[in-house]
Amino acid sequence: MNGEVNLVVAHPLEAKALIEWFGLGEVEPRGEFRCFENKQGIALVISGMGARNAANAVGWLHGWQSPEFRAWLNVGIAGHPFAAVGHGFLVNRIEHRRSGEYYWPPIPDLDLPGCGLVTVDEPETAYPEEAAYDMEAAGFFAAVAGLTTTDLIYVFKIVSDNRENPVSEVNPKHVPELFRKQESAIHKLVDHLRERSAACADWYGMPAEYASLLSRYRFSATRKVALAQYCRRFRALGRQDRLSEIASVRFRDAASLMTAMRLELAKANEPGETSRQEAE
Amino acid sequence: MFSAVYFESAVRDHPRTRAILARYGELPHIECERFGQIFNRKAQNFRMQKQYPALILARKHGRKVLPAPAGYGFEAEQSHYFSHMLNCIYDCRYCFLQGMYRSAHCVLFVNFEDFADSVRQSLTAGSGMQVFYSGYDCDSLALEPVSKFAEYFVPFFAQHPRAVLELRTKSTQISGLLRMAPAPNCIVAMSFTTEACAKQWERDVPSIEKRLKALARLQEAGWPVAIRFEPLLPEADQNAYASLFELVFSRLDAGRVHSTSTGLFRMPTDYFRNTLKLHPDEPLFARETRTENGVVSLEQPDREGWLAELEEMLFRHIDPASYYRCAN
Repeated sequence: MNGEVNLVVAHPLEAKALIEWFGLGEVEPRGEFRCFENKQGIALVISGMGARNAANAVGWLHGWQSPEFRAWLNVGIAGHPFAAVGHGFLVNRIEHRRSGEYYWPPIPDLDLPGCGLVTVDEPETAYPEEAAYDMEAAGFFAAVAGLTTTDLIYVFKIVSDNRENPVSEVNPKHVPELFRKQESAIHKLVDHLRERSAACADWYGMPAEYASLLSRYRFSATRKVALAQYCRRFRALGRQDRLSEIASVRFRDAASLMTAMRLELAKANEPGETSRQEAE
Repeated sequence: MFSAVYFESAVRDHPRTRAILARYGELPHIECERFGQIFNRKAQNFRMQKQYPALILARKHGRKVLPAPAGYGFEAEQSHYFSHMLNCIYDCRYCFLQGMYRSAHCVLFVNFEDFADSVRQSLTAGSGMQVFYSGYDCDSLALEPVSKFAEYFVPFFAQHPRAVLELRTKSTQISGLLRMAPAPNCIVAMSFTTEACAKQWERDVPSIEKRLKALARLQEAGWPVAIRFEPLLPEADQNAYASLFELVFSRLDAGRVHSTSTGLFRMPTDYFRNTLKLHPDEPLFARETRTENGVVSLEQPDREGWLAELEEMLFRHIDPASYYRCAN
């Protein structure tokens, strides 16, 4: 099962190689942000430069998509005091210079070099710290952290400038080439994120019967929560078939349905039941 | 084992930090101001993090030795616990830590000397025997090659005969202990569930066989050992427990076992709610539960009768005087 991944880049030139690799087509009509997607669950949004734009693009893309378990990756170019141009880093600490906030992206075991990063408002030319410098990651991370677990939010940066190759001399036309140097790392990351988001969907997705029952009966808010729990318990106990059977019966009302579900679930505690399931 | 090592700026130059960072030279080393920046963040997924936990090195501030919850542990005039670590490298599905913490990363407090001072103060303030449990929020020995916790604290407790240290563990990391002279007031308490439960719900934990071998070696070397049958999980067939008891006490000198305890699967309501959110697909948590006094346990008919039957089986191997039921 392949999960879904959202890619956020600042500039069209950063999108170019990604569009090509993942076979992304532009979403029409254009909205506030240019957006691309494929049928395998990968979407890309071009945010424009700066932390605020990155945050807005995240919000826009999230609002445009249906609610699913998605992983997010901000990929783009960055400065670094001494790392070679074209070097790629999985960011493990983000400092937002203006707000003083820190963010801590997860560190998967992917054998990718790690690095701290400082998000600044203007291109950094002095590179005072041993860290990468960008203009979007903090805005991106903060915005996505409000939408999903932080364990599904990654930032990958490719060095475009350093003390010997200052930012003023970066030729934008070379950006796709920098991305190509990191093709295998980016593919590795995206594959990993797809696995993660698929795992989330598997763990936390709701049995189909839940939506079906919700549409057929009237539930109070409390009963709605209980219905979700019951549906998940049926599945967890390996009784999906019984849930389907119950869902196909026509009950007088939601209360009668819930009683039937509760009685069925209580059978799981009857002597011999657990052993039977384990034997299966 | 770990994906990265975070360390607080304040402990950057602490000898334990330096040694651990050197040990994990190939991992990212990431500096932070306070461990809570990483450990207590909102929106973390404990379940996902268990697949790539990090180690966080920090300094413990505030109270380091706390009163043990009522009903926890064996009888003593005063019972305390202290946590040099938060979280565990093992992944036991029934564990309350996943409901208690937002993060699956392991926090190791490197200022052992401050914990020792607090233990000393506690002994000075009280009289009589005092018990100190070290495995309440972590496994006492699982990270021993890295933390050197027992290497520091066993000699410390050996000098304080009025104090008893319980090292609660599922680990077989005993080589450090075997190099030391056994301390009569340092008890290695090993936890066990039945073979089926261990297979189903304990990940990365040494097998029952390996744990027993480790415990037997310790006992042979003169260390006091204890057995914790926790958590007890209701199974239709009590033969599983009979087999477990038989196995454990055939490998150990039952007469020299310091204490044996049982404890039902139980979790504070909030922790259970958090755990259920993390594992909605887990059959164990999908069973019927009961909530009493803010604690969730698994519903089972005639629980008392079931427990009494288990205890009867247990008393065929041990002296009832060395047994207690853990209530917390």
